[in-house]
Amino acid sequence: MWFVEILRAEYKLVYAEMFRRKSMLVMMFLYPYVLTGFTLFIGYSFGSKQVFVERTGVAPEIFMITASFIILSMLASIDDMIWKPLMDLWHGTLPYIIASPVSRVMLYAAIPIPRLTAVIIIGSTSIIPVYALYYGLNGLLTSLIIIGLASLGAVFMITPAMVITGLVNTVGESWRVINVIRPVFMILLGAYYPRILMPIAGLIASYALPPSHIVELIQAFLRNAASTLNTLSLIGIATALFVIYAPGGSRSILLWERKKVKEGVKYD
Amino acid sequence: MEVPSAITTRNLRKVYRVKKRLSLIKSREEVVEALKGISFEVRYGEIVGLLGPNGAGKTTTIKIISTLLIPDAGEAYVDGYDVVRQANEVRKRIGLMLTVEKGFYGKLTGKENLEYFAALYGLSRSEAERRINHLIKVLELDKLGAVDKLFEEYSLGMKARLSIARALLKNSPVLLLDEPTLGLDPPSARKIRELVKSLAREEGKAVLYTTHNMFEAELVCDKILLINKGLIVAEGTPDELKSKIPKLRVITITVRNGERVKIEEALAPLVTTYTVTSNEFGETTVKVSTKSPEEILGEVIRALVACGCDISSVRIEEPTLEDVFIYFSQ
Repeated sequence: MWFVEILRAEYKLVYAEMFRRKSMLVMMFLYPYVLTGFTLFIGYSFGSKQVFVERTGVAPEIFMITASFIILSMLASIDDMIWKPLMDLWHGTLPYIIASPVSRVMLYAAIPIPRLTAVIIIGSTSIIPVYALYYGLNGLLTSLIIIGLASLGAVFMITPAMVITGLVNTVGESWRVINVIRPVFMILLGAYYPRILMPIAGLIASYALPPSHIVELIQAFLRNAASTLNTLSLIGIATALFVIYAPGGSRSILLWERKKVKEGVKYD
Repeated sequence: MEVPSAITTRNLRKVYRVKKRLSLIKSREEVVEALKGISFEVRYGEIVGLLGPNGAGKTTTIKIISTLLIPDAGEAYVDGYDVVRQANEVRKRIGLMLTVEKGFYGKLTGKENLEYFAALYGLSRSEAERRINHLIKVLELDKLGAVDKLFEEYSLGMKARLSIARALLKNSPVLLLDEPTLGLDPPSARKIRELVKSLAREEGKAVLYTTHNMFEAELVCDKILLINKGLIVAEGTPDELKSKIPKLRVITITVRNGERVKIEEALAPLVTTYTVTSNEFGETTVKVSTKSPEEILGEVIRALVACGCDISSVRIEEPTLEDVFIYFSQ
């Protein structure tokens, strides 16, 4: 029951920020197109569209809009979780949150969910029109499946995001950290850069991330190469990793909080 | 069974290590002893004021009790629960107001902010709704038009009221208020003072209240702890504290029909420090400085009456709490 109330509160907070800050709302719809436009521009400048299709089996426009959507969806968890304590520090709300009896696991699990549901909105304004344009009615169905898979991948990101949030904030609370974390995860998720092409260290790191398996599944699905066994095994691995990260996630958040109260939570 | 004190601290100590930058490369670690062993108690229904100059240790004390800081040594309990080992139990029992200006989300309205914190405090939706509506009325947030206004558009007075509303959301038995009226306009400050007093008197809440405002401390607090350089230097009721400072009190007596010379002759054997001044309206003011006005007041009045004076008024000027504060802060 308490989780539902926390979730409702987080929804109100995130959606108030989203709808009352018009620039944020506009950027939310524009981002997939901006990212796609940027990557296509780079791609067309250095390579050929034909070679891209031969190598990936998908048109670059479709591949890139899907990759941009995946990245925005799956990074929402990690973005929101790292960002929230910093925002609370800035608003002066952090001491009230730390001095509240709320379960930290429940709170941090609830933080990214409002934005994850916005994924559906982002999907409906980015990949649905592009897929419909390229593949017609069939494309509409495909895009809905991709939105569903991306949402699942985004949920699988919650527990590793908790681990990373706790550790990153323990080492040092800074807005700049997000700017380092984001590109690293953009690569490791394999959305823009298929992980089969990664060096061994990158490949191991990528395999350790639950949503990267969902990204692989989406890419296989785009190439019509997703068998039932393949689908189930990738979802199974992602689920197992999600569960494995859970205890570490709560410990990591508590580690950061312990550091905060040892130093003294600042509010003046 | 003995009822535990609302707040108990025993020998609380805290040292901050601050890195002081000397040049581009060099820095030096400075040790600041914020608390040097503080012990006190706050009972239910009691408002205890924590008074002291900047850097005295007031905020550090509040932080420790509100579980926002771990002490280096000593113990602190809220409703019998240890603030370090049983922090979550303590958090269920405290209402907190730390700053007036910050502490809410700017893009949420006042009511939405309260709903957010009610969820964190574990209130059900119906209970939260009931408490929030009650507090909005009590703090007159509706009359100020603050309920559906974004927090970023709030005035300081509205912010303070909203902040105290949050502290009261879960109806905690213990309230920790860090300078709750700082920078407020007189009506808002008065509203908050009255509310705090009624919470202690009528609902039996224990309140720990820090302030710089002597007038306010005297008006609100049942007991005052004067804290300086990490130590409690004096404690007691405002009257007890005033009696602790060796300051002479002044008896001011206004008389009519008195001759200045006769008055001076009458007072000379009784008191050593006095002044007699007359004005053009035939009034004479006699000021006598003494440590114990109660002991000599009768004799002085008898002497004045004996030399033909009609007493118009008698006033004893007490040392103010500000005098006490300055005396113990030095």
